Amino acid sequence: MKRTRITLNTCGAVAWFTFGLSVCYGASRLGLGNITDPGPGFIFFWSGSILTLLSLMLLFNSLQETAPEDRETGRTNWTKVACVLAALLFFAFFLEKLGFVFTTFLLLCFLLGVSGGKSWLPVLGVASAAAVGSFALFELWLKIRLPKGIFGF
Amino acid sequence: MLESLASLAYGFTIALQPQNLLYCFIGVTMGTLVGVLPGIGPTATIALLLPATFHLNPVSAIIMLSGICYGAMYGGSTTSILLNIPGEASSVVTCLDGYQMARQGRAGPALGISAFGSFIAGTFSILGLVVLAPTLAEFGLKFGPPEYFALMIMGMSVVAYLARKSMIKALMMTVSGVILGCIGLDPITATPRFTFGILDLTDGIGLAPVVMGLFGIAEVLENLGVLTKAEIFAGKIKGLFPNRDDWQRSIGPITRGSLLGFFLGLVPGVGAIVPQFLSYALEKRLSAHPERFGSGEIEGVASPEACNNAATGGTFIPLLSLGIPSNAMTAVLLGALMIYGLTPGPLLIKNSPDLFWGVIASMYVGNILLLILNLPLIPLWVSILKIPYSYLSSFIILFCLIGAYSLNNNTTDIYIAVLFSFFGLLMKKFDFEPAPLVLAFVLGPLLETALRRSLILSDGSFLIFFQRPIAAGFILFALFVLVVPLFSKIRLGPGLGEED
Repeated sequence: MKRTRITLNTCGAVAWFTFGLSVCYGASRLGLGNITDPGPGFIFFWSGSILTLLSLMLLFNSLQETAPEDRETGRTNWTKVACVLAALLFFAFFLEKLGFVFTTFLLLCFLLGVSGGKSWLPVLGVASAAAVGSFALFELWLKIRLPKGIFGF
Repeated sequence: MLESLASLAYGFTIALQPQNLLYCFIGVTMGTLVGVLPGIGPTATIALLLPATFHLNPVSAIIMLSGICYGAMYGGSTTSILLNIPGEASSVVTCLDGYQMARQGRAGPALGISAFGSFIAGTFSILGLVVLAPTLAEFGLKFGPPEYFALMIMGMSVVAYLARKSMIKALMMTVSGVILGCIGLDPITATPRFTFGILDLTDGIGLAPVVMGLFGIAEVLENLGVLTKAEIFAGKIKGLFPNRDDWQRSIGPITRGSLLGFFLGLVPGVGAIVPQFLSYALEKRLSAHPERFGSGEIEGVASPEACNNAATGGTFIPLLSLGIPSNAMTAVLLGALMIYGLTPGPLLIKNSPDLFWGVIASMYVGNILLLILNLPLIPLWVSILKIPYSYLSSFIILFCLIGAYSLNNNTTDIYIAVLFSFFGLLMKKFDFEPAPLVLAFVLGPLLETALRRSLILSDGSFLIFFQRPIAAGFILFALFVLVVPLFSKIRLGPGLGEED
């Protein structure tokens, strides 16, 4: 007898199903209007419904899977991914407070030194040159306004 | 036809203005660079440079951004041939025979025929653009909301149908794109929708942070700590000009690749990736020695390279004449046009002839620039590829963050980019493709408006999509594309992927 396997695809399909239903619920609260005069939630409701239906199809397919998943989830270094994402959130949080140059310098030090595994001296040199260089490129040459922060640059 | 040629001549007077020539040069050089670099593509680059073009006039800006699109096609082949790593998804097939040619000491002719083939195809597609775009725009004037709705549905269905992995997943991405694209104020009642009280979301989620997250940062995250050092072709590259025999063998494949790429590129949703697989399969089928394909046949380089360039030109036709993007790259370009206050569609030729003809003429100028610059600059591209990936990836991340921030000078967009980068990474792990999401994200608001207007027009009858012949044609084609895979295991995308 074929045994049903709970795979990552199954969990993903359940997540999508929940998302689809949530969209439908949110859309119904926005107001669907009627067919002659569709309301703000109309497109969301129908999109959410289609998404729910598709996630059910995905769920059904995933429950039929018998071969082991060949997905190479192990290839990605998840610890590094988490560290880099945390660094990017740090960058977003402090960008306007500390200014572009200083925040960029810290971010590049982290990405090159901690994540990239480079030795500190070249990292400091490259990070500072890149922070100042990118400020000059974007702010001065391309006229993109970058945040100055407490240091004024 | 004569009128079009006169308009093209007018376009050249615009494209050859020193400022536009400079931006064309910057665009094609940037395009080649990102085509060469794995990890960042033209879609993310266009989004990145978008804020930098705000102080330019729209013509110069679009000339530069278009240059990135077709420049990337030239650059993508360099890494395919020298490293066996496609710089772009649309250069995947070139790896098969191009890298083998390089290993046999024929990197020069492979790079040469790829550049000349791309140039010939680019020229062909521009001529096609000159002839077909005004005609299609004229035809597009007959379009009302039902036709536009049906055309967008067809485009999104084709994208899902051509997905390399699961079609269900591609459709889920498409629907998610529509949902995400419609977040913000309701276009008719101005009711905030799914903004969760966040003021920055009332204008909707920005295209730039989504593209930066999905196409830029997610790619870097995926390769963190796992990307091994690429083996760069070490030999001296000589004989960039293909010999007489190479030309004799390549001219047929270049012609067929150009025709195939251009006409497939016209179909909304097809883009440049699938045509190159088809062109390779076609050459293999036509060859007297199909068994030699994959071991360094010049036909296997000439045809796909011509094809992806012609297809890129082809994708500009629905974009410029109907306002319908064919892939993620042209979807971002559509977003750019709308940011500049232009309305892409049938009236673009009439209302903004400077932009329309200037951009088309600049594409020809850009192709010449690429032919002149690309081959001599190959050593420079190779040396850039020798930069350690940890440096490149750090700069890609930084530029993506700047790109996300600078459109609205808003840190919320950085948070959105970070969120989408994680989402993009999960999508890669679970075999969900980002391209249908981005296309639907851009088309979502247009789709909603067209649907609601159609229903108001028809007094709530969905039959309006079947009573108008053009709309009915598009809807029936979309249904055909969606229903066929239910009864058949044959699908173009995955089928080609497995066979070739």
